[in-house]
Amino acid sequence: MENKRALLKRRIIQLAVIVLVILLGVVMFVVGKEHTILLDNKSIESGGVTYNAFQVVEVQVDGRDKLELGPRDRDKEVVMGQRHKVTVTYFDKYYEEHVVVKKFKVPISQKMVLISLPAVAAELDQSVWLTNYEAPTLLNIPKDEEPIVSDDLIPLDF
Amino acid sequence: MSELRETKGEKFFNIIEKNAVSILFLIICAVGIAFSGYSLGYLGQEIITRVARNSFLIISLLIPIMAGMGLNFGMTLGAMAGQIGLIFISDWGIAGIPGMVLAMIISTPISALLGWLCGKILNMAKGREMVTSYIIGFFINGIYQLIVLYGMGPVIPIKDPALVLPRGYGIRNTVNLIGIRRALDDVLAIRVFGLSIPLMTFIVIALLCLFMVWFKKSKLGQDMRAVGQDMEVARAAGIRVEHTRIVSIVISTILAGYGMIIYLQNMGTLNTYNSHMQIGMFSIAALLVGGASVNRASIGNVFLGVTLFHLMFIVSPMAGKNLIGQAQLGEFFRVFVSYGVITLALVLYEIRKRRSRTRAGRLLAQDQLDAIKEEQ
Repeated sequence: MENKRALLKRRIIQLAVIVLVILLGVVMFVVGKEHTILLDNKSIESGGVTYNAFQVVEVQVDGRDKLELGPRDRDKEVVMGQRHKVTVTYFDKYYEEHVVVKKFKVPISQKMVLISLPAVAAELDQSVWLTNYEAPTLLNIPKDEEPIVSDDLIPLDF
Repeated sequence: MSELRETKGEKFFNIIEKNAVSILFLIICAVGIAFSGYSLGYLGQEIITRVARNSFLIISLLIPIMAGMGLNFGMTLGAMAGQIGLIFISDWGIAGIPGMVLAMIISTPISALLGWLCGKILNMAKGREMVTSYIIGFFINGIYQLIVLYGMGPVIPIKDPALVLPRGYGIRNTVNLIGIRRALDDVLAIRVFGLSIPLMTFIVIALLCLFMVWFKKSKLGQDMRAVGQDMEVARAAGIRVEHTRIVSIVISTILAGYGMIIYLQNMGTLNTYNSHMQIGMFSIAALLVGGASVNRASIGNVFLGVTLFHLMFIVSPMAGKNLIGQAQLGEFFRVFVSYGVITLALVLYEIRKRRSRTRAGRLLAQDQLDAIKEEQ
């Protein structure tokens, strides 16, 4: 009886450890998932209104370096995890500085998302300025093989 | 029983014989450094990088030695499991420390299963564990290649085109681990005297060392030592010998999987079909260079071994080039030394075993002679 109880207790602990490890794996998956954020400074049309691209706009994702984009420019940031913050800094026609900060969540299934900066600045709905982006097939063509890196320090072909 | 009376010459010879491989390597390294022309700063940086990169893998070899199973050539099984974990996280786009942890989580059940299989087979081949584990490594490598080359893509979904061969299935010869490149090394990197030290990697290695020290003193560790010393006596004492041996191989294989992930995060590139095969041989050679033998190894042997072995690796091509104008010589030399040192260690182990038997005989004769003299 005593033995059976000990065995049951052991099995429960083992099961709990397995469940915990699986949970840790899920957390690591969510936290470590990389997403590419495309920052797009192109004119966008929404609800019959056109929001023009900025002449110059500064954009910052999380606490990273600021990126400066001209009209029709597009840049990217590779980020980890789902929750991020984008800060858009621009000047209006009276040279007055405006800063728009938006927090957003990238769905786990989306590898690449596109943020329209004019739409962010216009404070439109998130569904307008944050959209999923599927890279064209051509971009998916695999690169050449990576060179093999081994413990060898000195190349043989002197 | 009293101590064997030996001449000073015999005692000196015993010390030399006990540390023959390390002394030989010290001489090789000293000559190599002189001829290579490398600065001490450069050598120091390289050694720090390589100690951080390889130590975890080599420490994983200690437990089977404790259990009397010799050098675990089956560590390649764990390395393969680690690589499978890395392939998956690369495909899923998981980066940084979370990527490494996830790769470790994925590798753990695979390593445990392979380790259990290896342990079961080794229990059927008692006394021939090393050669058996070496061959198991080749056998599992075949299955690994079958899965990675043909299974990944059509059976196991791998979507990233950068990973899959142009034909549509199978993993490419090299996988870029850009997401986890130096993820652990850069967490707490500090600079001391111009040398970059990956502190977090060393902390992880130190934790493993502490675990090893604790493990040796634990019930399971004591059981393993008892099994390693004499299986029959251990069995008579109520220790489940076969089970203990399997557990030692399972732990070693799992640790080897983690070690491989730490090794590859430093390299930044996975050589899909070769990395694991090289690592077994180099880890074992490094441990032997540190003064370990088939039945005796310590944490000190790991660090001395990895330092001396990799020092030889770094200096030999340049020393070869400077000596006779060909780096190829150094390349051949270091490959020859890697295999040679394993052979030498095995030969020395046999010699030592025979000599210890002779010493035991001499000691018995000496005791009997002393007893007769006392009676007279």
